[in-house]
Amino acid sequence: MTSHQHAANPAQNYLNHPKGVWSWLTTTDHKRIALLYLFTILLSFFAGGVAALVMRTELMFPGHDLVSADTYNRLFTLHGVLMIFLFIVPGIPATMGNFLLPLMIGAKDVAFPRLNLLSYYIYVIGALFGVAALANPVDTGWTFYTPYSMDTGTSVVLMTAAAFILGFSSILTGLNFIVTVHKLRAPGMTWSRLPVFVWGTYATAVIQTLATPVVGITLLLLIMERLMGVGIFDPKLGGDPVLFQHMFWFYSHPVVYIMVLPAFGVVGEIIPVFSRKPLFGYRIVCLSSLAIAIIGFVVWAHHMFVAGISDTAAIYFSIITFAVAIPTAIKVFNWVSTMYKGSIRFDTPMLYAMGFVFLFLVAGTTGIYLAALAADVFYHDTYFVVAHFHYTIQGGAVIGLMAALHFWFPKMTGKMYNETVGKIAWILVFIGFNLTFIPQFGLGMEGMPRRYYDYLPEFQSMHSLSTIGAYVNAFGYSFALFNLLWAWIFSKNYAPANPYESLSLEWQTPSPPPTENFVETPIVTDWTYGYGTPLKSGAH
Amino acid sequence: MFRMMPEQASEVAPKIDWLIYLITDISVFFTVLICGAMIYFAIRYRQRDGKHHETPQIKGDHLLEMVWTIVPTIICIYVAYYGVKYFYDIRHVPLDGDVVTVNVQGQKWKWDFEYDNGKKTTGEAVIPVGQHVKFVLTSRDVLHSFFVPAMRVKTDAIPGRYTYAAFKPVKTGTYQVFCTEYCGKDHSMMLAKVRVVSEAEYKTWLDDKSEELALLKMTPPERGRAAYNKHGCNACHSLDGSRLVGPSFLKAYGREGTYDSGKKYAVDHEYIRQSIYEPNAHIVDSYPPNLMPNYTDQVSAQELDDLIAFIRSLDGSAPVAAQPAAAAQPAVDLAALSPIERGKLLYQQKICVTCHSIDGSKLVGPSFKGIYGATQKHVDGSSATVDEGYIRESILQPGLKVAEGYQNMMPPYEGQLSEEQIKDISEFIKSLK
Repeated sequence: MTSHQHAANPAQNYLNHPKGVWSWLTTTDHKRIALLYLFTILLSFFAGGVAALVMRTELMFPGHDLVSADTYNRLFTLHGVLMIFLFIVPGIPATMGNFLLPLMIGAKDVAFPRLNLLSYYIYVIGALFGVAALANPVDTGWTFYTPYSMDTGTSVVLMTAAAFILGFSSILTGLNFIVTVHKLRAPGMTWSRLPVFVWGTYATAVIQTLATPVVGITLLLLIMERLMGVGIFDPKLGGDPVLFQHMFWFYSHPVVYIMVLPAFGVVGEIIPVFSRKPLFGYRIVCLSSLAIAIIGFVVWAHHMFVAGISDTAAIYFSIITFAVAIPTAIKVFNWVSTMYKGSIRFDTPMLYAMGFVFLFLVAGTTGIYLAALAADVFYHDTYFVVAHFHYTIQGGAVIGLMAALHFWFPKMTGKMYNETVGKIAWILVFIGFNLTFIPQFGLGMEGMPRRYYDYLPEFQSMHSLSTIGAYVNAFGYSFALFNLLWAWIFSKNYAPANPYESLSLEWQTPSPPPTENFVETPIVTDWTYGYGTPLKSGAH
Repeated sequence: MFRMMPEQASEVAPKIDWLIYLITDISVFFTVLICGAMIYFAIRYRQRDGKHHETPQIKGDHLLEMVWTIVPTIICIYVAYYGVKYFYDIRHVPLDGDVVTVNVQGQKWKWDFEYDNGKKTTGEAVIPVGQHVKFVLTSRDVLHSFFVPAMRVKTDAIPGRYTYAAFKPVKTGTYQVFCTEYCGKDHSMMLAKVRVVSEAEYKTWLDDKSEELALLKMTPPERGRAAYNKHGCNACHSLDGSRLVGPSFLKAYGREGTYDSGKKYAVDHEYIRQSIYEPNAHIVDSYPPNLMPNYTDQVSAQELDDLIAFIRSLDGSAPVAAQPAAAAQPAVDLAALSPIERGKLLYQQKICVTCHSIDGSKLVGPSFKGIYGATQKHVDGSSATVDEGYIRESILQPGLKVAEGYQNMMPPYEGQLSEEQIKDISEFIKSLK
């Protein structure tokens, strides 16, 4: 494959043709839908971030400082619901996945473009239900555990209805992607030539399609129980609250992989390009995504070791959970090995990718504490879990999204952003993030429970550090996203078709791409990662 | 590195910490190794002069892939094994031997403890050191979780189900209990203590019924105040007119208002009964529904009457405090009294009066009238003459000799009375010819 180095901002591209707000709202172009999603999820990210900052401010010192206990409980619920259901579940798949999947496999669009637009509007309707629930914000936590969610006077029905509707958006997107990967690959784009991002998104789509219906059923039963008194989960009606947890986590554990598998894919794309090396162990990296997706379905009750399940069940779920650690470890080793003997450039996307490796290592190794039964009994529902989860989802999925936004920004907008600002913002995000959550590991080790509005005075110093970190972190994200927005609107620095000299298909078309993606249907003759000088025969 | 676990107060704690620190060391080692390699590669193979240098097209290495599949697998099996092994130690309660069982009920937002002999406490459990203790957990409303960091145990309390948390304390001291399953507004206030004491102290504490006996001496409003504290009404209903989760009790009796349904109400006996036994039948306007649990199984008919009396007494005529004021000491100059008078005062203050008459009538215990100098038969067949030494022993260790026709019911007063006071009581008894 060759790269086109001429600065190109072709007169007609998907951004400026056709024109008008209506053409955007009714578009079936996967690239435009990706941008619609991107703006909506970033709004949720912003709102969820504000909720987090208010909470962290309240927790700066023990006692009542800023908001009441009741408001605090509603805030952490809002933070969780916004960040999970509205931001990070659609996060990478619906934005970068939508934008890149057809481009990477050499297709004109996804398999069902109108279904794709429908997914977006289902998402919007779900989000509006969530907004309606703000009239009396929910205080159950994003987990909606029964029987609390039966007893509380807040808008549980509206909020769970929102999550239920959002689930359909997720299922339809997943279905669309599965069919797209199976049916629309360009000639020569065999499964063993697919970019790892496509593999990651494909594995994600499988989980979205299979796991999401379960949470849909669960939330529907919850709504029926609240409205009609059907006794499924509430012990007062003869139900079983632990059953709710089983059903909830049967989705909500795999959903973690919905969030993070595409991020693995992003890192697998970025490191080879900036190292000028093939992705080390390509085949095993792709298969490990599928392995994680499959094993991820049978580990759900590791969220419930102390929830009253039998000891035998706890032992089974602990051992299987360790099995997820192995494919994850394999990925990390392969990413780092890719850099060996490379020619490494430190552009902003590469910095995010390298930061990701560190953050995800912390996420993975702290996961071992929680998989080990005896240790989890102590750490369950403490700040240790909060920190571990945020290393996985913010350090993993959100940093992955930031890496992707920077890496494919020239392709999406046809502009180059300011590298220096991008790097400074990365430093702020990286320092702020670690400053927020490393103290939370300490708090967890000392036994500080999560979801506490107030705390004992001995926990204060680490809480204060964490709050300061949260502000730095928030400033870093704002700075980074502002830099991108600024460049998109004001920059005169137009992007070439392939500024980073990638071999992947999406870079072989102008930036931004024309509506139909490729002027001619590309024919793939080689592997995506053929960087570097081929070795003499016999070696590898 | 990162040796941050709290105090180890149970038998299993050092094992758990060993496992946790093992994982910490493995984690730090691999994080440093992998990030070290990444940073080394990044520096060693960085692009110089803004131009790419030639790179070898290495696609992978089977041997390396095997190594970094097998090594983490072995480590995972090792860690998982000890996780399961020590989990068994946490969960295992010996069937034989002395296991102290404490029934625990979680409720928004307090912990109630009940012992086999019927003794009840709220917010503090007392347990003996060196014995396995099994906290049998359940909940009266929503999910809670019973977490004692120093003991390294945690288990959810689930309505309609029994679960347990067990451990063997190895150190005396007072240890924090947290609720770790989110349960609503005051989740972060749902704290309690586990006080680990010597076996002797535990026995004394367990048999001490003075609090219950004290209730017999109280007026209905005083008993109502005790019930108000005991059942945790104080978490939601203030006594000073301030608005908490529920309406204040100050000047509540006779108050008129409207329910959220718009219906009018006036607080009377029946209103209070319904509010306690059917709390969600009506909700006072502007208060959230479904927050108050149903107290049908907890508040007895007697307690209900007492609570009503207590609420009626809060008419604003006297300043109130949530905690009962220290028992009013009679303003008398003790030194000016004779030993017999001081003894009589103690007889009343220490509630001997509840069980021992001074007129010869038989109550729970033998009457004091004419007992001094008499020969007392015991349930074990022995007998002894009642003298000062006998009285002293009966007060401090009442279980040693139990009078014939009576049961071993008296709490030991060791530590509660000085030698002076025992002498005074003896003198008082001596005077009751």
